[in-house]
Amino acid sequence: MNTEAGRQAKFNQLAEAYGADLYRYAMWICGNDALAKDLVQETFLRAWKALDRLKDIKAAKSWLITILRREYARTFERKVPKFTDVETVVVTEDSELEPEDRTEVRLLRESILTLAPKYREPLMMQVVLGFSCQEISEELDISKSAVMTQLFRAREQLKSKLQKDGVTGNVHELF
Amino acid sequence: MSMNFSEFKRILGAEPRSGDPELQRARHSSPEFEQAATEAALFETKLDRAVALSAPVGLMEDILAISQQPATQPARKKWLPMALAASVLIAVGAAGLTWNMSRGWDSVEEYVMEHYRHDGDKFINLAVGNPATDIQAVLAKLNVEASPALAGIVGLIKYCPTPDGKGVHMILNTQDGPVTVIYMPDTTVIDRELLAFDGMEAILVKMHKGSAAIIGPDARRVSSLYATVQSSILPLPGSS
Repeated sequence: MNTEAGRQAKFNQLAEAYGADLYRYAMWICGNDALAKDLVQETFLRAWKALDRLKDIKAAKSWLITILRREYARTFERKVPKFTDVETVVVTEDSELEPEDRTEVRLLRESILTLAPKYREPLMMQVVLGFSCQEISEELDISKSAVMTQLFRAREQLKSKLQKDGVTGNVHELF
Repeated sequence: MSMNFSEFKRILGAEPRSGDPELQRARHSSPEFEQAATEAALFETKLDRAVALSAPVGLMEDILAISQQPATQPARKKWLPMALAASVLIAVGAAGLTWNMSRGWDSVEEYVMEHYRHDGDKFINLAVGNPATDIQAVLAKLNVEASPALAGIVGLIKYCPTPDGKGVHMILNTQDGPVTVIYMPDTTVIDRELLAFDGMEAILVKMHKGSAAIIGPDARRVSSLYATVQSSILPLPGSS
């Protein structure tokens, strides 16, 4: 395999392994479909240009997330406002849910987007990307203990919101 | 030392999916722990359901297309301005025009404009200096073929959604500059209808099979390609 072909194969491997997850993560962080796609495209553009710097493929997910988070931070430097249209891209399986479950899912989505970034970001890293607390700690450059506290509080807030909005059932019983 | 319930709930709230043996041991230590773990697992199921999003159609193709360009070549973005434009629409209660959700456009004209706003500049940028090599193979899947004259100037070709199924988005590298052609094999249009949007001009073309939109920066350029495009994308012999 020549160098260029190998480079392309490596890139394609990354794209196929992480492209969709990065989009989902970006979507939950910025709450806007067009901006999320833009962030993912920019992330992979930068990754393509800097691919030779990625020595360990196992570190690829963290590497890509770091690029994406930096790009998102730059977005805010440019004072681009954020908008919420998560409902426009939710999975179609929603239609198969019972009405009560749909209500619950909708409330959860709304609640996730109202979480402060310091709670939402680690939660989405964990739930969407499958990061461990240790990996989140390294990515956010905060202690593992702080990550655990944020994750705990994030979930408590979501449960509280569901309870407050009258969703009953097992979630209710957690309190 | 065994874990107390408060500590168990704290860890459960932070890492409910953890396979940590100590957490698992604690879970089975009493019904109270077991119930808390079960409820946490139920909440995680709801959370998974809530965060599940469909990756947009074409996202992977767009990402993979990045590796087709030289690493040093900067690419222009198009989605960010779209985000701003979309925000205005949302603000006035017109939510729902985001590209990804637009599986059913009100009209072919709306589709053409929205498609171009989303992908137009980006693909032009990717097409410059990169002649496409798989044109006939891509078109064959739609049961059509391109004339050699047209195939010779295609700089990029990719599948794209259309109002009636799969189509292709092509960039023609003409002597006057790049022109976009969206081929819609199963869509009917008003032949020769002209569109103007965002400083761009487009002409709709009734094809032998389906239709096409030719989009460029000026009406003269797109109109001059009408006959070429119409006569250059033809049904494969033997196809219906």
